Amino acid sequence: MKRRHNDSVETPVASLIDVVFLLIIFFVVTASIETDVVDDTIKLAQAKNSEGVKDVPPNRLTINIREDGSMNIAKQKITKRKLESLLRSLHKNVGDNLTILMRCDGEVRYEHVSSVQEVITEAGYYKVNLVAVAGK
Amino acid sequence: MALRKNRGGKSSVDVPMSAMIDVVFLLLIYFIVTYKEEIPEAHLAINLPQPQDRPSDPETPPQLLEIEIRPTQYLLRNMPMSLDRVESVLTSMAARDPELTVIIKVDQRSKTKNLVGVLDICKNVNLTNLNVVTLQ
Repeated sequence: MKRRHNDSVETPVASLIDVVFLLIIFFVVTASIETDVVDDTIKLAQAKNSEGVKDVPPNRLTINIREDGSMNIAKQKITKRKLESLLRSLHKNVGDNLTILMRCDGEVRYEHVSSVQEVITEAGYYKVNLVAVAGK
Repeated sequence: MALRKNRGGKSSVDVPMSAMIDVVFLLLIYFIVTYKEEIPEAHLAINLPQPQDRPSDPETPPQLLEIEIRPTQYLLRNMPMSLDRVESVLTSMAARDPELTVIIKVDQRSKTKNLVGVLDICKNVNLTNLNVVTLQ
């Protein structure tokens, strides 16, 4: 800020507008990123021969299973009963046009995964995708 | 940009450096904050067991191959073997019959990364008919 002879204060409006616009852009961009919540605590198993997927399916439900066997969807804890009712309503509304992705920790015992798979089959879905870290 | 007249009468351009530095620093902070290492993910598709009352497939029964995943070993047609050996057997079998149906029986105590390892091999040798069942 510059002081003139008559002691008036000149505010640097141009740089303020720059900052405000950049903040707006920042929040717009980060808000769109946040729609795809990923559970970072899960250490996926390695699939060293497989290629990474380029296009994620548009209709998808990602179920995260942590090492201790706890389950969440978009970091929101969910019980098996709630998952089943969710899957049943999805089956009613979108039918088989849904890709179920299971992001399981590589160290989780299979009994936890199979119990979730039982819930999935009871809701009427018989195809799932296990997510792993691509090696190629 | 302000135009200033020098003593000699020539005009020089005054670049607003402080505003530019503001913008550059904000962009730098933005990219540091939003930077996230992209981990390529592979989706390994599996079929889950369906209810018994579904109509079974035609006269020619599909060629079946059973793989058991135990906590410490893999069994292919009841023969214990290492994952490398499983890979070489699957490669030769897939070359003979690409339509081969693989039934993967997973012990509840085994870890998910073992299943992912087998699924990864199957995907690599283009075996797509993969059925996963749980060993009680």
